[in-house]
Amino acid sequence: MRLLNPQKLNELQRNPNRVRNICILAHVDHGKTTLADSLVATNGIISPKMAGKLRYMDSRKDEQERGITMKSSSIALLHNKGGEEYLVNLIDSPGHVDFASEVSTAVRLCDGAVVVVDVVEGVCPQTQAALKQAWLENIRPVLVLNKMDRLILEMKLSPLDAYVHLTQILEQVNAVMGELFTSEVLGRTVPEKSQSQIDPDKASSLLYDWSAGLEDADDSHLYFSPDQGNVIFASAVDGWGFGIEHFAKLYADKLGVNEKVLQKTLWGDFYLHGKTKRVMKGAQEKAKKPLFVQFALENLWAVYDTVVIRKEKDKLQKIADSLNIKLTVRDMRHTDGKVQLQALCGQWLPLAKTLLDMVCTKLPAPCEITEEKAEKLMCSATERFDSLPSDTQKLKSVFMACSSDEDAPVIVFISKMFPMERRCLPQYRSHPLTAAEIAERREKTRLQHAQRLAQSETPFSVEGTHLLSSGDQMKIEEQKEQEQNDADAFIAFARVFSGTIKKGQELYVLGPKHEPQSALEKLESGEVINPDLTLKDLKSGQHITRVKIDQLYLLMGRELETLDSVPAGNVFGIGGLEEHVLKSATLSSTVACPAFTELAQVVVPIVRVAVEPTHAQDMAALVRGLRLLNQADACVQVIVQETGEHVLVTAGEVHLQRCLDDLRERYAKVAINASEPIVPFRETVVVPPTVDMVNEAIQDQNTASKDGDKENAGEVITLSTSNKHSTIKIRAAPLPTEVTSLLEVHADLLKAVDKHIHSEAGQQNSEMFEDSLSESQMVLTERTLKAIETLKEKLKDAFSSAGDEWKCAESQIWSVGPRRCGPNILLNRIPAYDHPSVWQRLRGSDRRLEYDSSFVNGFQLATLAGPLCEEPMMGVCFIVEDWTLAEETQLDHPSSRSPGSEHNDPSAAAKPGSIPGNLSLSACQAPSAILPESLLSQPYGPFSGQIMSAVKEGCRKAFQARPQRLMAAMYSCNIQVNAEALGKMYAVLGRRHGRVLHGDMQEGSSTFTVTAVLPVVESFEFAPEIRKQTSGLASPQLVFSHWEVIDIDPFWTPHTEEEYLHYGEKADSGNRARRYMDAVRRRKGLAVQEKLVEFAEKQRTLSKNK
Amino acid sequence: MSKIFTPTNQIRLTNVAVVRMKKGGKRFEIACYRNKVVSWRNNIETDIDEVLQTHTVFTNVSKGQVAKKEDLIKAFGKDDQTDVCKEILTKGELQVSDKERQSQFELLFKDIATTVADKCVNPETKRPYPVSMIEKAMKDAHISVKPNRIPLMQALDVIPLLKATMPLERAQMKIRAVLSGRDARKLRDKVAKLATSLESEDWDGGKLNLVCLIDPGHYREVDEIVRSETKGHGLLELMSLKEVTEGEELLE
Repeated sequence: MRLLNPQKLNELQRNPNRVRNICILAHVDHGKTTLADSLVATNGIISPKMAGKLRYMDSRKDEQERGITMKSSSIALLHNKGGEEYLVNLIDSPGHVDFASEVSTAVRLCDGAVVVVDVVEGVCPQTQAALKQAWLENIRPVLVLNKMDRLILEMKLSPLDAYVHLTQILEQVNAVMGELFTSEVLGRTVPEKSQSQIDPDKASSLLYDWSAGLEDADDSHLYFSPDQGNVIFASAVDGWGFGIEHFAKLYADKLGVNEKVLQKTLWGDFYLHGKTKRVMKGAQEKAKKPLFVQFALENLWAVYDTVVIRKEKDKLQKIADSLNIKLTVRDMRHTDGKVQLQALCGQWLPLAKTLLDMVCTKLPAPCEITEEKAEKLMCSATERFDSLPSDTQKLKSVFMACSSDEDAPVIVFISKMFPMERRCLPQYRSHPLTAAEIAERREKTRLQHAQRLAQSETPFSVEGTHLLSSGDQMKIEEQKEQEQNDADAFIAFARVFSGTIKKGQELYVLGPKHEPQSALEKLESGEVINPDLTLKDLKSGQHITRVKIDQLYLLMGRELETLDSVPAGNVFGIGGLEEHVLKSATLSSTVACPAFTELAQVVVPIVRVAVEPTHAQDMAALVRGLRLLNQADACVQVIVQETGEHVLVTAGEVHLQRCLDDLRERYAKVAINASEPIVPFRETVVVPPTVDMVNEAIQDQNTASKDGDKENAGEVITLSTSNKHSTIKIRAAPLPTEVTSLLEVHADLLKAVDKHIHSEAGQQNSEMFEDSLSESQMVLTERTLKAIETLKEKLKDAFSSAGDEWKCAESQIWSVGPRRCGPNILLNRIPAYDHPSVWQRLRGSDRRLEYDSSFVNGFQLATLAGPLCEEPMMGVCFIVEDWTLAEETQLDHPSSRSPGSEHNDPSAAAKPGSIPGNLSLSACQAPSAILPESLLSQPYGPFSGQIMSAVKEGCRKAFQARPQRLMAAMYSCNIQVNAEALGKMYAVLGRRHGRVLHGDMQEGSSTFTVTAVLPVVESFEFAPEIRKQTSGLASPQLVFSHWEVIDIDPFWTPHTEEEYLHYGEKADSGNRARRYMDAVRRRKGLAVQEKLVEFAEKQRTLSKNK
Repeated sequence: MSKIFTPTNQIRLTNVAVVRMKKGGKRFEIACYRNKVVSWRNNIETDIDEVLQTHTVFTNVSKGQVAKKEDLIKAFGKDDQTDVCKEILTKGELQVSDKERQSQFELLFKDIATTVADKCVNPETKRPYPVSMIEKAMKDAHISVKPNRIPLMQALDVIPLLKATMPLERAQMKIRAVLSGRDARKLRDKVAKLATSLESEDWDGGKLNLVCLIDPGHYREVDEIVRSETKGHGLLELMSLKEVTEGEELLE
């Protein structure tokens, strides 16, 4: 039995006054889906008997298994209220924190919300979040106090106690509402005040103190109160629920009291004076029973007592009779008291009817959209509504009108894309065949049969093979179709805010970053939007595509029904938009329509894992699957890291599990592994520390090191190439921090410069002696040149402020690395070497210039992989003190050359096995540079390569000669935390080596905003831990912020008295840097300084087979 | 039936690793703990008592025959047992224990995998593979590690084997060659043959500026061609060791 048929539906949809778009919000396990079940049951979609057990809205397998909802889904219901029919689009939402993004997609499409609170558990973190979300989206909530049966059966409260308990819970909820209200009012007054200072005319009218802001704003309408009719007491599991008007009506007749009076007094501190039959105030004082207890709760308690606890069947009949309820014989005979109770209460106090009545009266229709909400939808809080183009501002009235006329502009908002198995779509559903179709099929098979016969007769004929191939083709096509049916279709979850959307209509798809201003300008300038464009083809800055509406669906929970058109104010589904919509979008008939503001995200994804296919060949499938997953889930991010890892970022553990399951079974269909992602480190050197680990000044045992020159001597590394022809003196030093950060920020610029110089360098010829920079100016754009100049200036400032040592360093920069754009510098302090700096290309006639690129490459290699654990270096300066190439005459290579040529051709001999490349030099050497073939294959390889490896080794050694440190990537961590969980949150941060920067209390609420920094290595499992420890009262957000030196030498072990005292002899716990370094080394297969067996005696001593 | 414990008349040495050394025509042995000798040799373990079972030099550990003093003096020139033990520890033949071998093997395996991951890219995305994936693929391909070959060589051997199971390619090297003179065109063809793709090619008055990607294995050959055939007129410059896509990317 379906109450909703297409004609009626269409009729109802056209009348926005009769449409209600609502969603159910609550903490996890407070009974949202059960409540939805009983509502669904009223429309005959499921049996009332199964309501509460079936969880119809949980269509996914894992949802049913785990018993929690994981996605928001919508269902259209018909409700008849006192002869008026209403269409209720009910959206069930998940309650678990991890799926908070689904809640925001649901809330966006609704006008009202049903907030469910478990009366035993009270207000929980997610209840607060739900209320906040409803508040942010300006939708009106009503309250359902659920699980009343638990008060009776589990907690065994007396009616009076239960009443007190209920008032407390109501107060809790109202306290949350009040907090939201005050924080908004305070938030609003601050900008107003600041504005008032600017505008003196306004100031006089706006000058008021803090309290005035609160007092002026009326907040009475916000609160939940049974006498206002926006609270329902219910037990969704047993299928009953009531508002006080039910009892008010009932007892008004019985007692002869005015119904309105009773409505006001039934909830609250009122009692019935026995003799006078008058309602009096002050029940608590006089120890009387409040009216609510006397009339409502006691009756309920009595019913539960007789039916469930004492199981008196004859009394049941009596109660039923007194309530005018007819119970079926089957129910009466049933041995389970619960069934009888459900039958009785379901008729006495039907939950669905009460709730839907309340929804229809208390919650606004789509056409009653407030001005405030319309503005909020159209522009985000950061910009002002007036700043939008005038065409767009006009659309506000369209929002308010909610008209479904033909000429009204169409505005549709898509809040998410959800997957649906293709064969579940209505157009693919099997339907009874018509006679014509049967005939057609018969004809087809007959033909096929005939073909097969013909084929068998002439097996070798050309025709036969042709037929065969066509048969194969058909098979392939069928297979393809099959595959397509297996694949998922994405349905857009959407709502029409204005106009009517029809099948076959052409609409603009406006991406989330669309700006009406620029788009309108573009349109005016004659730009046409290509209808064939899809999301993939869009360049940056373009956010508009055109699409023809293909399929419209009515969302019916697990099923879909096709529709031809949808008028304003309805929630519905659109098919065939996969190519056009990524996660959310706006569809409109006009470009002036702004993209709807971003969904108010309560959680941002923070749990990171690296995913990879179990079998390497499935990589492509995984990437495809990740793309689909990204489209289907609003709260998922997929990042491809530099290491090639695919990192999946999800909102929480449960969410992660769901995503992995989806990937395995739905999107990628391959086996995948998830693991901790690889965390990058950096290596650096520091100034020698003056204090040791226990803050004692380090005494110089080595008196020699006091002498500056000798100290330097220890740090300068002298190294020769393997054939002893070249010697390098190199020294490492930490760069001033400002320089490092400058280099880091300007990496792109440096790269551009490098690229430019490289492309130019090829054309060097004899004219090269001109200033190279003037030449390059012609090619680089003005802007880059300017940027280079400012960078130079900044570097100069940074260096000069860093001390004498760095004087003129900016002009001595030889190269930066790694990858020619990193935060390390190669400094040229070679005496009398006419060096090139990074700013210009090679020139000059020094012989060493030929090997310049090898030298730089050696430096690049060294900075790319440091000696600690082969991670890139950062903030290290390598100062080349000297670089000599051996004099030509000493450069004999007697084994490979005849002595004669040695004297004739000294310059060629200087570079055995290398390229005498610089043409400016070639005049003297090139004509005679004829090397015998044997020279080319030298024992140590080409000389350029030797220089490269020598420089690399030199850099590494120089690095090791200084105090080395590891640098860790740091997240800046923003935590919203309730005051009561503050201490526990600090404990978690402390355990993970986080550092709190500051914590502020938010005005008007009891939440703190704490800012901290946390090493990325320690962040794995951080979010789950902090949630567990604080019972979900703290929600962290992590963003990468900077690199920080870990101030422990990775090779440190205690060696002074005090250190032994403090850390013990082994210092197992002390060295964090060592632990990180070893972990990286172990991962990379580098040797780790670690004993295989700590205690030799404590090994398992028996061999395996004895 | 469960195994019945039968007493053996041979008492086996447990937790003992023997280090032997032949010197002066005599064989000397010392008794050490298992899994400790390599740590000692790498200077990780510094406590001699954690390495030596006893500061005694034997001629045969399992029989318990202690070396004679005069033999020690004859062979080592000293009779201090501990000193001799230390010498044998550093110079003697080592019996590698299970854990030592295993960790050596693992390190080598990981080293090879890291090298492969470092040298190769996924040709579809031009991004490297994560090391863990390479390791898994190596295990699936049943690649055995040889302890006495250097990891780099083994990695180069592994690459073609892995190509069979996954899309894998050596990361290309970017080089710039400047050729001039009469044979420039001829040389260009030779270089082009070795290159996988040519990025840019500029002729400027008989001078060629060629930027191309080559397989790292061909670097030597290209180098040789440019060097020998131009007779010093050419210039070869390494622009980047491997061409990979850099930076993070948000998948959409």
